[in-house]
Amino acid sequence: MSERELHLGLMFWATGTHAAGWRHPDARADAAYDIGLIQEVSQAAERAKFDFVFLGDRLASDPALQHSNPAQISRLEPYSTAMAIAAATTHIGVVVTANPTYSDPYAIARLMASLDHLSDGRAAWNLVTGADAAAAHNFGRDAHWDTARRYDWAEETLRVVRDLWDAAPEPDGTGARRIDHRGEFFSVDGPLDVARPPQGHVVVFNAGTSDRSRELGARDADIVFAGPQPTLAKRREYYADIKARAARHGRADHVAVLPGLTPIVAPTTEEAVALHDRLNALLVLDPEREVGDIVRAGGIGEGHQRNLTSASEVFGVDVRGNDLAAAVPSSTLAAVSEEGARRLTEITRLTRRTVDGPDRITYGDLVHATPAQLSHVVVGNPEEVADMIQEWFEEGAADGFNIYPAYVPGAVTAFTELVVPVLQRRGLFRKEYGGRTLREHLGMAVPPR
Amino acid sequence: MTGLVLAYELSDAVLAGPAAGIVVAAERAEAAGVHALLLGDRPAARPGRAAPPAAIVAASMLAVRTRRIGLVVDAAPAYCEPYNLARMIASLDHISGGRAGWRVVTGPDPEADANHRREGVDPAVGREVRAAEFVPLLRDLWDTWEDGAFVHEKDVGRFIDPDRVHVLDHAGPALQVRGPLNVVRPPQGHPVVLAPAAEPLLAPEADVLVAGNPDRAAASDRPVLGTVTPFVAETQERARELHARAGAPRSDGDCAVLVGDAASVAGQLAAWADRAPVDGFVLRLPLPGSVEVFTDLVLPELRASGRYSGEFRAGTLRGHLGLARPANRIVGRLTAAGAERS
Ligand SMILES: Cc1cc2nc3c(=O)[nH]c(=O)nc-3n(C[C@H](O)[C@H](O)[C@H](O)COP(=O)(O)O)c2cc1C
Repeated sequence: MSERELHLGLMFWATGTHAAGWRHPDARADAAYDIGLIQEVSQAAERAKFDFVFLGDRLASDPALQHSNPAQISRLEPYSTAMAIAAATTHIGVVVTANPTYSDPYAIARLMASLDHLSDGRAAWNLVTGADAAAAHNFGRDAHWDTARRYDWAEETLRVVRDLWDAAPEPDGTGARRIDHRGEFFSVDGPLDVARPPQGHVVVFNAGTSDRSRELGARDADIVFAGPQPTLAKRREYYADIKARAARHGRADHVAVLPGLTPIVAPTTEEAVALHDRLNALLVLDPEREVGDIVRAGGIGEGHQRNLTSASEVFGVDVRGNDLAAAVPSSTLAAVSEEGARRLTEITRLTRRTVDGPDRITYGDLVHATPAQLSHVVVGNPEEVADMIQEWFEEGAADGFNIYPAYVPGAVTAFTELVVPVLQRRGLFRKEYGGRTLREHLGMAVPPR
Repeated sequence: MTGLVLAYELSDAVLAGPAAGIVVAAERAEAAGVHALLLGDRPAARPGRAAPPAAIVAASMLAVRTRRIGLVVDAAPAYCEPYNLARMIASLDHISGGRAGWRVVTGPDPEADANHRREGVDPAVGREVRAAEFVPLLRDLWDTWEDGAFVHEKDVGRFIDPDRVHVLDHAGPALQVRGPLNVVRPPQGHPVVLAPAAEPLLAPEADVLVAGNPDRAAASDRPVLGTVTPFVAETQERARELHARAGAPRSDGDCAVLVGDAASVAGQLAAWADRAPVDGFVLRLPLPGSVEVFTDLVLPELRASGRYSGEFRAGTLRGHLGLARPANRIVGRLTAAGAERS
């Protein structure tokens, strides 16, 4: 890698990543099952020269999430979706989330290799160990395994999968050998039946938050897909930690850190703020209940409810019973907890409303800032959004971003048409693909056998 | 059933080749009205050559490159988790607009077993029991979402109707799955399930039975397909040459081998259709050019004899096969339980 390059992926959740995104007029509410639309969105990302389309996944369905996180309820299976995307595109990578906790290494190795062949070298594997405890019940188990067991299992899986890719035949049938793996969890003879992937090893992403996840990501992954961090300092610390761990494994230049980013972008700041407000106004709030009630945020864990009771808890002031559209008195805002104060800063960053200015923070703003955020959100005009991207990229917080469209397809085209040209003009992002495979986009060589 | 049902089983030689070649073969078959393509899938290496891509992945590519033809993938319950396979087949059905099928693979396979042993799991053990429990379980998982449960009503903010999504809580001797599935009900309700006619535990659960050699097929209350490997060419001599070069495979219980020119092969197929209890054939097309040759030479003969329409009768694989869209079994059970209570 000579010049450092920004990388962009498209996080595809059909409902959009805003909990009410599917209700926006520029959203297709039924996008999850319209493969034609999924292909069109991917083609839009390819026209913008994105590195990849990213398909997250869940192995459980909980209808109770329909207002908090509808994306988590159901979707097409990612291998077949990725193939359908690859069949309608020529350059963009396709990332399949596959959880080794509930799959065989041989199956992962051959499905990924198959996708890599039929996409001509554009496949990637997002290795996760499972956000949903409920998935265990869909696979004959009584309980979700603990972190240590899930990562022990995942690490052995990854070893076996890569050994299978290395021991796979060339397309002409030569070079195959058995691996005769006898490990703690698996016994796998090999060789792989399918030919070695065109990329040698399919690109590996890892997403997680625990120490084990950071270690796996730094030692074994090509891309670490990072969750949200509450402050700039924490983002830098996370980035530096992954790079330092990677350096300890002699891979400092081989691991890219890509956080998620939700851009709410419009031609002007005012329009972007109005768009953000409009999306929040479409949210279906949780009924007011007892303090301490929680809601599942959708696999990423449990979070606070979206109502004034929970807001009171999070901000440390009693705001129950108020009109959501009303401005919160400065005296109330002055009394919030330390965590509350941090969130007020966030509210101002997103809404431009302040604690004491002419345009004041509302009770609704407190409610919307109460549940756990699934990614970092930026609200602004194209230059403002590009500024943020540039800052994180240049100041040690990111090597690129997985872009979360708040609603689909409208927010995808908003980003590709408004922000990507700015990034290209600033020389931060490619104007043309330099190669054909995902490894080439990422500047990563094909590993030797 | 009017007219013969024809399914092409593509050879490894085609499937392991470039993607463009697979698509061309599929387009040829579709243009001639062949009802389905069958994509084999066996998770074990073949000596000396690379195997085709996993069937589900290749089928997904074909689903978006074709419009009418059915796409049937092989999968063995021994190597799959029911929740994973249920959603893969359901997704293929969505992506193809109701053209997916699954051929249940049973029977021992020590080489594949040796690739799939893990803590507490030996796929060689109990595979018949697992397979028999697996098929109805997949149907139940497809039914965990009632038709129309995915409402996505923007104006009122109702994305799904939770009353029409069901937990299954399946707890059988081999498999425990809670549900609901994370895919909405497939367009066909249940993608078409094909099973070997010779498996007494499985056959009652299938939509279509795949018999081996048509000479040994037995009558059934559901469609039965005989399995045939045709070596066809312009002339008998050339056909015999191709057959000899392929190692001169002989008919056995699994499959009848036909060697001849188009008229003789079409004649033999028609003769079976007349006297054997088969509704059509799985045609194992053995050689790289076999799809083109069979399509161009034999299908016109079958059409001329009035036994094969060459037209699609419907938009779904069920429609091609004359099979009805199944009612939702979970709703049926709930209704029955409700009726009993009152
Ligand atoms: C940004 C991000 C994206 C994730 N995406 C998924 C996903 O699509 N599916 C999934 O099952 N888990 C997903 N996870 C969860 C992780 O895979 C991981 O299993 C979970 O966080 C628990 O492990 P941990 O304790 O290491 O975080 C994601 C996590 C993060 C941080």
